[in-house]
Amino acid sequence: MEGKIIVVTSGKGGVGKTTATSSIGAALALEGKRVAIVDMDIGLRNLDVVMGLENRIVFNIVDVVQGRCKIDQAAIRDRRIENLFLIPASQSDNKNVLTSTGVERIAKELRKKFDYVIMDSPAGIERGFENAIISANEAVVVCTPDVSAVRDADRVIGLLYARSLEPKLIVNRIEPVRVERGEMLSHEDVLEILSIDLAGLVPMDEKVLISSNTGTPLVLQNDSTAGQAFRRIAKRLNGEKIPIEIPNRKTSVWSKLSKTFGLR
Amino acid sequence: MLQDFLKRFSGQKRSSDEAKKRLQFSLVYDKLEVNDTTLTDLQTDIVDVISKYFEIDKDALELKVKNDKDVSALVFNTPILHVKRKRA
Repeated sequence: MEGKIIVVTSGKGGVGKTTATSSIGAALALEGKRVAIVDMDIGLRNLDVVMGLENRIVFNIVDVVQGRCKIDQAAIRDRRIENLFLIPASQSDNKNVLTSTGVERIAKELRKKFDYVIMDSPAGIERGFENAIISANEAVVVCTPDVSAVRDADRVIGLLYARSLEPKLIVNRIEPVRVERGEMLSHEDVLEILSIDLAGLVPMDEKVLISSNTGTPLVLQNDSTAGQAFRRIAKRLNGEKIPIEIPNRKTSVWSKLSKTFGLR
Repeated sequence: MLQDFLKRFSGQKRSSDEAKKRLQFSLVYDKLEVNDTTLTDLQTDIVDVISKYFEIDKDALELKVKNDKDVSALVFNTPILHVKRKRA
């Protein structure tokens, strides 16, 4: 059976797309699937350092598309998680070096070799983005609860629909306390504005930065709320029906009190 | 937390509510934006159709999208030079 290609995209940069990609990929591998993560951000590669595989790069995706090596030669095997592979971006080329037909040809091959291929799209909506979505069977849009990320997500969702992809949304870096205080859009607000289905909600978690510092997979950390959220997202993408968990609001005395007074 | 409580009492606005309203408005507005190619293509098509019935001054015509507070309208303005005779 052929595998599925899932593109992770966002429009705006810096919303946690790379973290989402690596975590979802790792989590799917933990579910027993054979997974390839492909860094499509040509010229600005990052997945390798986030995943702690930067020292093992020999070939990259541009080499593969241009026929300088085989997929198996470019795919770096993760030693901590079985069946997890990374195909890194090239750092020296620019985004226009890949053609859509080249990417489509390799995508076909990748689907034969892996159960899931997770494509990390570059920020923006130009050529690099087009290349990342061209062969996708499914799309995940990542956004944070702020006005610019939500607006860009809306634009990207429109472009994905135009390609007959029905994206699912990840709202990342939710801070329940600030949502409660009325300082941050709630996930309900974001969903109402974007009106698409949810893949999941991810709370703000200090462990994300720490795990990227050391290049260790977030999803292996049981005490990481974001890591656990990504594991549930991966299960959902894998077809499991598990309810969306809302990042929990710490119920303080004051918030209970103001609730009693009907101030919310 | 106490500050938060007092803020509620004093009836201060939640900035997240404002963010939501502004986003909803701007997203609607964004979608009304028509790019130049679309407008040029549309103009060519409209001129083709109208030219079947009227002779118009192609240099003086004007096509634009007017966005008002509540509605947006497509405005096409053209002087008519002649009415063409219908062929039997």
